[in-house]
Amino acid sequence: MRGVSRHRPLLALIVLLGFVFLYAPIVSLVVFSFNESRLVTVWGGFSTKWYVELFRDSQILEAAWISLRVAAASASIATVVGTLGAFVLVRFGPFRSRALLSMMITAPLVMPEVIIGLSLLLLFISMEGLIGWPSGRGMMTIIIAHATFGAAYAAVVVQSRLAETDLSLEEAAMDLGARPVRVFFDVTLPGIMPALISSWLLAFTLSLDDLVIASFVSGPGSSTLPMVVFSKVRLGVSPDVNALATIVIALVSLAIIVAALLMNRRRPMR
Amino acid sequence: MAQTVPGRTAPPQTTTPQTVTSAVPRPWEDPAATPFVRVEGVTKRFGSFTAVQDVSLDIYRGELFCLLGGSGCGKSTLLRMLAGFEDVSAGRVIIDGRDQTGVPPYLRDTNMMFQSYALFPHLSVEKNIAYGLRREGLPRAEIATRVTDMLSLVQMQGFAARRPHQLSGGQRQRVALARALVKRPKLLLLDEPLGALDRKLREETQLELIKIQQSLGITFIVVTHDQEEAMTLSTRLGVMTEGRIVQTGTPHEIYEFPRSRFVADFIGSVNLFDGRIAVDGTDSATIACPGAGMDIHISHSVAGTVGQAVTVAIRPEKIEMLASPSGTRPNAVEGRVEEVAYMGNLSVYHVRLDSGMIVRVNMSNRSRYDDDVPRPGASVVLEWDGSAGVVLEG
Repeated sequence: MRGVSRHRPLLALIVLLGFVFLYAPIVSLVVFSFNESRLVTVWGGFSTKWYVELFRDSQILEAAWISLRVAAASASIATVVGTLGAFVLVRFGPFRSRALLSMMITAPLVMPEVIIGLSLLLLFISMEGLIGWPSGRGMMTIIIAHATFGAAYAAVVVQSRLAETDLSLEEAAMDLGARPVRVFFDVTLPGIMPALISSWLLAFTLSLDDLVIASFVSGPGSSTLPMVVFSKVRLGVSPDVNALATIVIALVSLAIIVAALLMNRRRPMR
Repeated sequence: MAQTVPGRTAPPQTTTPQTVTSAVPRPWEDPAATPFVRVEGVTKRFGSFTAVQDVSLDIYRGELFCLLGGSGCGKSTLLRMLAGFEDVSAGRVIIDGRDQTGVPPYLRDTNMMFQSYALFPHLSVEKNIAYGLRREGLPRAEIATRVTDMLSLVQMQGFAARRPHQLSGGQRQRVALARALVKRPKLLLLDEPLGALDRKLREETQLELIKIQQSLGITFIVVTHDQEEAMTLSTRLGVMTEGRIVQTGTPHEIYEFPRSRFVADFIGSVNLFDGRIAVDGTDSATIACPGAGMDIHISHSVAGTVGQAVTVAIRPEKIEMLASPSGTRPNAVEGRVEEVAYMGNLSVYHVRLDSGMIVRVNMSNRSRYDDDVPRPGASVVLEWDGSAGVVLEG
């Protein structure tokens, strides 16, 4: 303890610098979203007029609605697919190509987004040529693309939860007369529910944030919120984008906090 | 595996003093009785590893049978095969006359109490206990009555609404027992049921478990690594090692008439004297034990051949330690006290014989004062009767 306290001022400074580095841009963005002035870099007094402006902009509202629907749908698909993958990895014991499957499930986590986006675009085009589905690019293709990498995150989160669940709980339920399907809904599902919720929230957030992959696989009339923001910013930063960003930051941090709380809520088993 | 020398010691029945548990009937001695649980040549292999090897076992209705063995001896695997969690690789399990091969756990008339208790963390105590009855689809009112009855049987009436994590270890153990008993199984399987409790609580719970078992008349099979627990609980016990059952019998038989060095050594502590049969008469025998530097006299025939390698197993409490020879016992040997371990109720003495062999002797501490007890360095004489030792093969 003494060794730590001797270095405490230095430690505090490093931590402070770290936080400033990470959060100063975000804080300035939030502050300037309440700026009266149209100039992004000049403080002209407190105002919420950019929020009002934002909610009059139909293009942004429509994009936000698309983004929310895409995020919800892709997060749901990702959670189901990821959970299935996690079950195979944790419960099916050692089987041939298990290591390969494990690697391939987690590969999208480290794969550059440009490559994921491009490969999915090529896949969708050739699928359309071969089986006629999905016809054209739009919300469906974005949902599929987001579900793909969302599933990788979900698999990792559910896998770790599943690995630490006590198998004897399921055996006990079976011993007491529950058939396997019943066991899953009565015992397994409540046990991994926190992981399912947090992976859904994670996939939802990732989908909401994604610009690169969505740009590859979207079509006309299916621009997501990040795409609209990005194109607006290229024409010059307007303060209503700051307001939008502030709202998004608030929503995303809320989702992350909830996800973290759920993951850390360890069941006091012993 | 060591086997008994043919025609071993006097038959156990004639010498068995009546213990508490022997008050119940002894169906295993009745050739006409049909076993309730029959394990026939059961083998379990995991890949190339054989966890249970050709185990045959008959357990009778109302018994409290303990499977005793060290970790990895296959006792839990055997229990899991009875519960239906593992398939048998060979052989079969018959419970109450019905072959259990291929019957899944949820269709068996057995219930299991898990070592970890496996209480459902998201359900209250009451719902945990009711879970099995709900699966049977019993009417609500009946479930409620039976759960209440169970809660009072295990003295947990005030805890119905609690979650498992709000209970102490002992309380969880009771809930786990209640949940396993509430379905009125024909056979209850208990995997290390008292393993997680501290010593004092364990001793109390052992007696309680026996009481519950006798009042309900359910057959219990208990897996344990704790030999004291097995001795206290069981009507009979089976000692397992390396996937096999090496001996079954009442606690008294197992302790006093072990059939192998392993059993003699595993249950309680024992002094093992290696030697060879020197004389084998009709009602006495002499074993030459060069390691101990003496001949051990046995008061019955060992029915072996002269020169055959045998081991004489003598329990520490069967040996008398005296300051000078009494001249009344056939076996006496001199030695020097090396160490004394004071245990409270008794003291364990390590006595080095002139041959260099260490012999353990127990003496109960009848007096509160330690003026008369031998101290380290004291010269003593060890004596025992001709019936004290068990002669085991090699």
